[in-house]
Amino acid sequence: MTAGNGRRDGSPYAPHTDADEAAMLDAVGVESAESLFDIPEDVRFDGEFGIDATDERDLRESIANLFARNEELTEFLGRGHHAHYVPALVDDLSRRSEFLTSYTQYQPEIAQGFLQALFEYQSMLVELTGLPVANCSMYDAATALAEAALLANRLRRGASGHRVLVPEHLQEGRLGVLENYLDGADMEIGNYPMDDGAVDLDALSDLVDDETVMVYAESPTVRGVIEENLSEIGDLAHENDALFCLGSDVVALALLEEPASVGADVVVGEADALGLGTSYGMGLGIFATREKFLRQVPGRLVGASEDAEDMRAFTLTLQTREQHIRKERATSNICTNQAWVALRTAMHIAWLGPDRLVNLATRAVTDARDLAARLDDISGLQAPVYDRHHFREFVVHTDQPAPAIANDLAGRGFAVHTLDDHHLQVCITDVNADAADRLVAAFEEVA
Amino acid sequence: MNFDQARFSRDDHYEPLLSEKDSTTVEVDDDGVLPDDLTRDELTLPGLSEPQLARHYTRLSQMNYSVELGPYPLGSCTMKYNPSFTEDVAADPNAAVHPDRSDRTIQGTLGLLHDLQEQLAEIGGMDAVTLQPPAGAAGEFTGILIAKAYHEARGDDRSEIIIPASAHGTNFASAALAGYDVVELPSDEDGRVDIEALDAAISEETAALMLTNPNTLGLFERDILEISEMVHDAGGLLYYDGANFNALLGRARPGDMGFDIMHYNVHKTFATPHGGGGPGAGPVGVVEELAEYLPSPMVQETAAGYELTEPESSIGKVHGFGGNWLVLVKAYAYIARLGDSGLSDASAKAVLNANYLASQLDLEVPYGPFHHEFAATSGDRDAADVAKRMLDYGVHPPTTKWPELVSQAMLTEPTEVEDKASLDDLAHAFNAAYADSDEALETAPTKTSARRIDQVSAARNPRLSWQALGDDE
Amino acid sequence: MFEIPDDRKYLESHEWTTTDGDTVKIGISDFAQDELGDVVFVELPDEGDEITAGDEFGVVESIKAVSDLYAPISGTVVAVNEDLFDAPELVNEDPYGDGWMLELEPSSSDEFDDLLSPEEYREQTE
Repeated sequence: MTAGNGRRDGSPYAPHTDADEAAMLDAVGVESAESLFDIPEDVRFDGEFGIDATDERDLRESIANLFARNEELTEFLGRGHHAHYVPALVDDLSRRSEFLTSYTQYQPEIAQGFLQALFEYQSMLVELTGLPVANCSMYDAATALAEAALLANRLRRGASGHRVLVPEHLQEGRLGVLENYLDGADMEIGNYPMDDGAVDLDALSDLVDDETVMVYAESPTVRGVIEENLSEIGDLAHENDALFCLGSDVVALALLEEPASVGADVVVGEADALGLGTSYGMGLGIFATREKFLRQVPGRLVGASEDAEDMRAFTLTLQTREQHIRKERATSNICTNQAWVALRTAMHIAWLGPDRLVNLATRAVTDARDLAARLDDISGLQAPVYDRHHFREFVVHTDQPAPAIANDLAGRGFAVHTLDDHHLQVCITDVNADAADRLVAAFEEVA
Repeated sequence: MNFDQARFSRDDHYEPLLSEKDSTTVEVDDDGVLPDDLTRDELTLPGLSEPQLARHYTRLSQMNYSVELGPYPLGSCTMKYNPSFTEDVAADPNAAVHPDRSDRTIQGTLGLLHDLQEQLAEIGGMDAVTLQPPAGAAGEFTGILIAKAYHEARGDDRSEIIIPASAHGTNFASAALAGYDVVELPSDEDGRVDIEALDAAISEETAALMLTNPNTLGLFERDILEISEMVHDAGGLLYYDGANFNALLGRARPGDMGFDIMHYNVHKTFATPHGGGGPGAGPVGVVEELAEYLPSPMVQETAAGYELTEPESSIGKVHGFGGNWLVLVKAYAYIARLGDSGLSDASAKAVLNANYLASQLDLEVPYGPFHHEFAATSGDRDAADVAKRMLDYGVHPPTTKWPELVSQAMLTEPTEVEDKASLDDLAHAFNAAYADSDEALETAPTKTSARRIDQVSAARNPRLSWQALGDDE
Repeated sequence: MFEIPDDRKYLESHEWTTTDGDTVKIGISDFAQDELGDVVFVELPDEGDEITAGDEFGVVESIKAVSDLYAPISGTVVAVNEDLFDAPELVNEDPYGDGWMLELEPSSSDEFDDLLSPEEYREQTE
């Protein structure tokens, strides 16, 4: 097999000609590149990985064939990973190699473009959350939540306890990540119950105490419920000197109450709902907070400054919070983040503009309401299970076993969530809305 | 080579912010879809047309340096060429599936993940690999959680992680995040692990030693088997930071050196694009004895096909879902494209390039023999200033002032993708900047979109959003 | 080459302290501010806080470095230099004057004797 470009076996992306290689070896003063490896014999690897090099065209075909083994289902899926239509502009411009193949902006003078785009992303989140500080990304909503809890704990070092209160309905991945991040800080997680899909205020009130460092609530919840008592939840947290952390997503924030106005100290959540599309759970974590917690913020921040010609210019700033300077005392271990996803999300928000973004968010309410009503009309289904306002998704009660119904729907080309023996969850966005009639018809056959 | 970076400017700023091009306020939910008290009143964002946005972002892209524009020899960052075809492969609409799909309906996705798990295990000499960690630091954290779970399962409570002083900052932060105390290890006079100091540092409190090999000076830890024995005799585990793995492909495997846990930086070694700071992916490999602690889920091949399974004593989750899927696809495509011969050649050329570049420099390189990267010193010139001046020659400078073992360090990693002519350009930039006048260094850069940026002003008076810019005016 | 006034005492970690009999003032030395470079942020305790000799009482940051501040003397904080929050550059410009950080009411007078004299501190920085 040739490596391509008419050269011998080797990396198709190492451009050395034989003559160049000889000249370079000569300059270094060795016979072969092999002799440059200072690896003792007893740890040398002489085996094979057993991976055959493949021509680009063959490889593309074989990977396409592999992906073709995925069944083509129309997904009515959400629960922490949402897809909206991503305009071509986002793919086209975010894939420009100047963006895609650049590194973290440690030399800001030569990286103004990306820095400005990230500054704009931060600014959009400031507008959406009402909080003055937003970082330029966390990995996903789950790790952003965990980082918020750690921030709350750092602020309350003197507190008698270190408990974070989270809703009974929390996406499994978020809970799992939170458990792992809190373990090292000797923190604990408490669950508060939900009442008809929303926060049970009385129960929460009994649970919040001086051992609580943070109360976390979501709107919309993982089950799609729009929380109606955010201010009261914030008050409960604050009365006990705990932080109020609100989980949301970038589309919902355009419609629902502004987090700052309901007392949120930190906003976390999913920004990848815009810009990324369905990507097997890959994310972009929102992290926004108050000015007074600035020095405790995890991750990178882009700030404005001036250059030597007094022109406004952008740079990574307040880096003493970060691991490359503060090491084990850093606010987080994060280094590589989701910058390119943040670029895409900013492009998508800009493409929508405020009108279309608000319309998209409003449709998430009306489409879910309409679809739930249509399913509720089908014998054997009740939807939505919770008598609340919903955003994108809602829970459906099934008289017949839910797993069997989900299976039958898959047979008819649809994917929905199965929550338990008699509950399904359905999520509708602009991506699958045109298939809603067919989904309803399929439900009529299988419910 | 002459270089002038694109520079769009107007008045006292460069390309205007989106908010300066338009700011539109809309009333939210005036149709009353939701009760008033559940919605915000208004929203203010730029409302621009697609052509305006296309121009905005294209201009921004032109004010941004990248691997496809020129050499980017940041030490320990492995800025290699990102093959174009991998982007197309990752954009396959059949690959765009939701993570909650049932296993049997996404056999293609699971098949790719399974094969990547296996291939990474083979390349690292490990027995099992998780793909879930979304970055190198997340991989470190995952690996340390696995070590913790292993010790705890044996009723062996240990409190310390040993880390060489020259290690990446993430090592320290990840160990602390997992709740460990960090014991910092000095280097010996050759720039490697000081065996005596290690002996003194190891105790029954040692949960693990984290090592980068070759280390951050590009030096192979020749005593690795002895180090491994010392750590293991004390009941500790050995952790491999994969940031410098591009030096060793096909020549040495962490598993064969005695490492129990490792992370792979696929955005370094396996050529997935850095995207201006991320996303990356930090898969973690472990030896058989630790496989039961890996995060959940893993992809397993069964008679019925590929299935997601939970390891017996899993540490649980380190990402809300399965990590950075698109990045993993690109890494898979890169590995399959190169195969054994290509991966091995990549390392050979990476090491040759670093050695050739160093041979062309007027700067001293105090430690060797090095592999894919080296720490040159700019001596009595300020490394940060030399770096700024290098920008004017159309190259990206190396990592500066790190590791601290070398004063005025310029940690340089050209990677295998530079040809001789490009390395000669790079050497010229180094040498010319190094020899330049103090004035030239202090006023550099002058060919970039922006001139030297005031870091002190940015930090003393943080302006972190366009909303904050108005505060001064 | 660095200014080390004779009217005060020093810590190995580069804090200075001076007393007028009732209270003591604390800051960092000329040498320390030069090592740090441009100071961009200072974090200090609140008035009324108790601090203990040898313990960290605050943080001073430049662009690329963070330094803990250690208390030379135990006592109660009676004044904090709030000017530093808006103008941290005072630490660079006038480390022994306008760049002072804390004023304490000491809980013991003995601790003052354990500190480095200007001569001893000068030797350390050379």
